[in-house]
Amino acid sequence: MIARPHQPLLRVEHLGMNHVQRHGVTNARLIVQAFADVNLTIYPGTTVALVGESGAGKSSLARCLALLEKPAEGEFWFDGVNLLALYGRALFPMRRKIQMIFQDPTSALNPRLTAGEIIAEPLLIHGQGTKAQRREQALNVMQQVGLPRKCERKTALEFSGGQRQRLAIARALILEPKLLILDEALSSLDIANQKMILKLLTDIQAARSLTYLHISHDLRLVSRFAEVVAVMHGGKIVEQGLAANLFAEPQHPYTQELLAAMPSLESICQERFA
Amino acid sequence: MRRRFKLCGALILLAGFQSLILLAGFFAPYNSTAQDRRFPFAPPTRVHFFDAKGKFHARPFVYGLKNDPVDFGAYGIDFTRVYPIRFLAAGAPYKIAGIFPAHIHLLGVEEPGRLFLLGSDGYGRDQLSRFLYGGQLSLLAGLIAAALSVFLGIMLGGVAGFYGGWLDNALMRGAELFLALPWLYLLFAVRAALPLHITQSQVFLLLVAVMGLVGWARPAGLIRGVVLSAKERSFVLAARGFGASDRYLLFRHILPQTSGVVLTQIALLIPQFVLAEVTLTFLGLGVGEPLASWGSLLSSLQQYSVLSSYWWMFLPALLLVPLFLGYYIAADALQERFKSVSL
Amino acid sequence: MAMKYIRRRLVHAAILLIAISILSFALLQLAPGDYFDAMRMNPLISAQTVNGLRTEYGLDRPLAVRYEHWLVSVLRGELGFSIAYNSPVGPLIWVRARNTLLLTCGATVLAWLLAIPVGTWSAKKRGTLADRACGVAMSTFLTIPDLLLYLCLLLLAVRTGWFPAGGMISPGASSLGFWSKAKDVALHLLLPCVGLALTITPMLVRHIRSALIDVLESRFIRAARANGISGTRVLFRYAWPVAANPLISLLGFSIGTMLSASVLVEVILSWPGLGPLLVEAIFARDVYVVIGVVMLSSVFLVAGNLFADLLLLANDPRIRVE
Repeated sequence: MIARPHQPLLRVEHLGMNHVQRHGVTNARLIVQAFADVNLTIYPGTTVALVGESGAGKSSLARCLALLEKPAEGEFWFDGVNLLALYGRALFPMRRKIQMIFQDPTSALNPRLTAGEIIAEPLLIHGQGTKAQRREQALNVMQQVGLPRKCERKTALEFSGGQRQRLAIARALILEPKLLILDEALSSLDIANQKMILKLLTDIQAARSLTYLHISHDLRLVSRFAEVVAVMHGGKIVEQGLAANLFAEPQHPYTQELLAAMPSLESICQERFA
Repeated sequence: MRRRFKLCGALILLAGFQSLILLAGFFAPYNSTAQDRRFPFAPPTRVHFFDAKGKFHARPFVYGLKNDPVDFGAYGIDFTRVYPIRFLAAGAPYKIAGIFPAHIHLLGVEEPGRLFLLGSDGYGRDQLSRFLYGGQLSLLAGLIAAALSVFLGIMLGGVAGFYGGWLDNALMRGAELFLALPWLYLLFAVRAALPLHITQSQVFLLLVAVMGLVGWARPAGLIRGVVLSAKERSFVLAARGFGASDRYLLFRHILPQTSGVVLTQIALLIPQFVLAEVTLTFLGLGVGEPLASWGSLLSSLQQYSVLSSYWWMFLPALLLVPLFLGYYIAADALQERFKSVSL
Repeated sequence: MAMKYIRRRLVHAAILLIAISILSFALLQLAPGDYFDAMRMNPLISAQTVNGLRTEYGLDRPLAVRYEHWLVSVLRGELGFSIAYNSPVGPLIWVRARNTLLLTCGATVLAWLLAIPVGTWSAKKRGTLADRACGVAMSTFLTIPDLLLYLCLLLLAVRTGWFPAGGMISPGASSLGFWSKAKDVALHLLLPCVGLALTITPMLVRHIRSALIDVLESRFIRAARANGISGTRVLFRYAWPVAANPLISLLGFSIGTMLSASVLVEVILSWPGLGPLLVEAIFARDVYVVIGVVMLSSVFLVAGNLFADLLLLANDPRIRVE
């Protein structure tokens, strides 16, 4: 089963964040709560899934955890370090350890850069190695995600959807992070590609002992690989626990609703052919 | 494919036209200030291949020009004097790029023959030469002003779009202010503000600076729009996630996205500013004599007598059309090209 | 809701105009030299006289004081004092402004009257040879410099004698009856109006065409067509109201372009508007006239944009509902 070392990799408590929106015509400021009072603990080497419907605040939470936005309140501990006490340049070395994969691989890659440049970019930003060394590292990682070396000079637009996601994964891996956050990373792919990418992710996790946080609205997809599941609704985490337990005996009414709405293979067949 | 042709064609046209003007010294038969008071308002000289006897000459030639003894201002052709056109002829000295002295011109005729391919003006100055030299001034004004405007637009629009907040607000209010002024009026007003007794080159520089400073508002708005949308793209977020600094993001990811808008704006602004300079000089408010500018070539057309009798004085204005056409086609082609590439 | 919006826009416009006035005032007054420069060069006039004149006209006071005086003068309707004409600027400008407005409004109406049918037809026949030919023609017109166009019109007037070559009324016309006078003015107005209208018509045609095409290719139009609604009805009752939005903004923008272009038309075709007045004042360094003209044209521009905004408000139900 899952080994539970004592130290969690990531721990957030009472985390909350607000959005400021501007009304289209009058330009008035509206404060909208993205999520509030979120408690989440992630242990190293596990695969955690965060599920919920659109607008529940999942993506906002993901961006917060990926250090892309600042929370308004709460505590954020990563690898024993209090991240909220760090600012600017102090936060810089921590950024290597948490990486994010976005939903749409097309917009996540700069269409004017070549694959090699895209993958090597994090090394460039962190000022690591010479140009030749960066290139070599990029090519290595490319091979690990299953992209042939000769694709190095192609621009991002020349790849298919599944390959672009591999590119994004390669870019995220090059700094050797500990936590990978996947924000609906599989949602835009077709079933065949989803399977391939999932397999890739599993292989990489074993090879590099990574921790994954999957954000998804697709419960069926999540049920195949998640070990721990957290359910989010209305900006709050309503239930979290081991996947097996949660699917077997959901406690919160919303979780029950979600599971009930998830069509199983038998019910689909019944509907169509009955 | 057709798009490619359009852009290439326009660029070739522009490059050709502008290199003619750049090397005005070589292509113009005369210097811009060379006067010949004997022949004011002479019509364009006719180039012949066949002489009066019907004989074909391989080298084209012109006949001599003589003043009509009775009708002052009219001209007759002196068939007794034949002046073959010489290519790569030695002529009045000039300086290439203002530095290297030279005296070879593409075309020329031996003195006292005159080669007024576009006619002459009230002082007997060759219009073709003045057109080419004038082009140097007017085009340069347009180019510098357009570059200045777009540069300011990138700086201010980029900063406003990227940082947002009060900076964005302040800049957009400022842009609105500048857009609310009818810009030609503002230009005039600033010209009014310039003292009457400063040197020509100072007037030129100040005019160009003002045009550039006034014109930043529209490019800034457009660039700001591009920056705003580029800022939200996932790849910018991803780079931020790696810890990229703002400067890195701006220069590596965001500003390159504006290249389409920038190029199109430059292509649109250059003819606009050239026209502004021409208008000012035409009205007597720009660069003055003896510096030639397209505006000063056309300013004599304000007099009825010139307008109705000397049709060749219109020719410089007609020659402007292909230049502007080139820029507009280029702007069009650029717009199409970048619309398809953009995200 | 709409009232709040209108009030906000009005306040906004007022602030804008004040800012413009400060900007242009500062710009002009900071320039070295003034109206009496030419006099100073004249050795026969003593420096004392010149200085005395300067004090009399208040040219030696500090900038802020002069601005204050000028503001007061504006509120009184005088808009400062013209040294060259020896009269308050106000009366000088109003007449000219009226003429410029007449010209600009007429040209705007003419331009849109021309552009709408051409643009609509072009959009309807998009992709066909006729449309492409039209596009080429418009592009060609676009590239003809205004200067050339106005000079050609002047040449036309001079050569053919069909149109008067300048001015607003023929000599001796002031004694005619109202309708004859109106006809006379209209005849004089024709050429400048056409010239000015032709300056922006190609641009308008292009924008109208592209706005309509955008709308015509959208889903709800296709749904309407699929439901069997006829082409013409679709065009006018469905496509136009939606396409009108960006075009109303265009209207606001075109007013600005017209105003700028009107200077040249008025000078070349001798229409007694603000343009020739401005040029004269610049040569004479008559500062208050220049400021007055710039301010007035800015007022027209801001008013025009405000009007366009209000039209937008009336046309777009989304703004009202919110």
